[in-house]
Amino acid sequence: MQREVGTLPLAPALRARLAAAGFQTAQELLDTGPCGLSKEIGISREEALEALQVVRQECHGDAARPAGGSGATRKYTALELLEEEQSQGFIITFCSALDNILGGGVQLTKITEICGAPGVGKTQLCMQLAVDVQIPECFGGVAGEAVFIDTEGSFMVDRVVDIAAACVQHCHLIAEAQQEEDHQKALETFSLENILSHIYYFRCRDYTELLAQVYLLPEFLSEHSKVRLVVIDGIAFPFRHDFEDLSLRTRLLNGLAQQLIIIANDHRAAVVLTNQMTTRIGQSQSTLVPALGESWGHAATVRLILHWDNSQRLATLYKSPSQKESTIAYHITSRGFRDVQPPAVTHSTEGTELNPRKRPRAEEEKQ
Amino acid sequence: MATKKLRRAQLSQEMCERLSRYQITTCQDFLCLSLLELMKVTGQSYYEVQKLLCKVSRACAPKMQTAYEMKLRKSVNPSSAFLSTTLHSLDRVLHGGVPCGSLTEITSPPGCGKTQFCIMLSVLATLPVSMGGLDGAVIYIDTESAFSAERLIEIAANSFPTYFDSDEKLLCMTRSIHLYRELTCCSVLKRIMSLEEEIILKKVKLIIIDSVASVVRKEFDTKLQGNLAERSNFLTRGASVLKYLAEEFSIPVILTNQITTSLSSGPGIRADLVSPADDLSLSE
Repeated sequence: MQREVGTLPLAPALRARLAAAGFQTAQELLDTGPCGLSKEIGISREEALEALQVVRQECHGDAARPAGGSGATRKYTALELLEEEQSQGFIITFCSALDNILGGGVQLTKITEICGAPGVGKTQLCMQLAVDVQIPECFGGVAGEAVFIDTEGSFMVDRVVDIAAACVQHCHLIAEAQQEEDHQKALETFSLENILSHIYYFRCRDYTELLAQVYLLPEFLSEHSKVRLVVIDGIAFPFRHDFEDLSLRTRLLNGLAQQLIIIANDHRAAVVLTNQMTTRIGQSQSTLVPALGESWGHAATVRLILHWDNSQRLATLYKSPSQKESTIAYHITSRGFRDVQPPAVTHSTEGTELNPRKRPRAEEEKQ
Repeated sequence: MATKKLRRAQLSQEMCERLSRYQITTCQDFLCLSLLELMKVTGQSYYEVQKLLCKVSRACAPKMQTAYEMKLRKSVNPSSAFLSTTLHSLDRVLHGGVPCGSLTEITSPPGCGKTQFCIMLSVLATLPVSMGGLDGAVIYIDTESAFSAERLIEIAANSFPTYFDSDEKLLCMTRSIHLYRELTCCSVLKRIMSLEEEIILKKVKLIIIDSVASVVRKEFDTKLQGNLAERSNFLTRGASVLKYLAEEFSIPVILTNQITTSLSSGPGIRADLVSPADDLSLSE
């Protein structure tokens, strides 16, 4: 109640008039009442009533906050956070080496950024995650839905069909091996049509549409409360051209990052972003670094860099608050993202087959 | 969508006038401002501004589709999803042929046959659907002046002798291939920007740009300061327009690229332009 007038979310012109009239605390405003306020400041009674309602709402929100309601600040003890983190699920990637270095998989409520050169598998990983987030809980998944925001147009439905079919088949195999009742029940709803119907796809062609979509996301997520994954495939693409004003770009990106963090926390969803690589020209050599500049590096909690080493694809965990930096190899097969199969295993023919859509790095095929 | 005027975003007339005094007329200008700036400019309270933001965002946000709807739409006409190249092993590897609705990049060292491949695809695109073609016109943007009309007729007459049995049919086919010779980056970009109307007017079903690399390498020397940024600017702008055209009209877009040697320890050959445009790559 002792809140200063300058901190209330009123229109700036109104605030200026209140300050000029000498009002200092919210309590004074409430005591004056709408008629008195309108006479003193020279605004209409309806406007005065509106302003008082805003003030009352704010103060009521202030009073409710210590009770632990959802306000701007929340208090937790580290023990509560630990319990929450341990009970949280991870979104697995079907590549066990990658899940291991990530500490179990892609974490919910955190922003994970995947950087890499074109063709290395970023969109493949995103599509894999959009399918894996829907795995029922009895199979170790989080049973959620996915939002896929595409800025580059590289989302291929046929590929998602392949990945989803392989995932369903995998779960069927587990169910047959373990013969538990809830497995059978879960499998009834875990079908190809269901998986595809729960991937919500948005195609944003420029940064304005992307900004608009992110502003509308909280509302969308409240309507679809089962969404546990938001993928933005290509956060760099709309911001890399047509931007003469780099400070505007930094400001927009920071705003986006903050909104995504709020979304991740409020809706308990994992946010996955993909970024491009750019060449930084140093003194004697040029290196490939993630695009969008140094300040964008602070936006993501976990950073994964995918790169090539001759013909092997590698993933490096570049930034993580809880896991150590390490590199593993992975493969993209016709069934999706998989581990590199050791050559002794009999499944080696399927596992080491490179996705025919990807650029063959070996010798060129003769025509 | 970005240039949509605010008055069509269902904002009130007086709000639009007030905003235009600050030079904010499109949705793009509105969404680029921070909340505090918006409060100052609109003179509204915090909650009102958030409601306005939602309204403007709804005006330019994309429509939602589920992956299932996309799959259904594709399966309704499967034959139009690919342009078969008539090379069976290549079609098998590409799962049907050159995909419609996305960009395809063809890369090779000089003399391997990129331009020949493009000419053949132009012929294929003009064939009727029953013969595996797209039954439409072709836009061919040539930056190297390598297109030869005689070769085009030779390929057509020899590959499909039964179909092109008269001069009449050959002439008809050549009339539907529109050739543009552009020699600078600027003119290529201008031509790409003007393609939307041409596609609708001439019922175009295939766009070929041969080659992106030659104009870019002529004009942008990456050793000079600042050129790398301009080069990627040009490439991303062209790429985003081409992607939009490919998706909007569901047609294939083919770009050709050149090979350069990258002086690193790995294998010597690498495609030159690390352009964000490619969805598929065929190395010949």
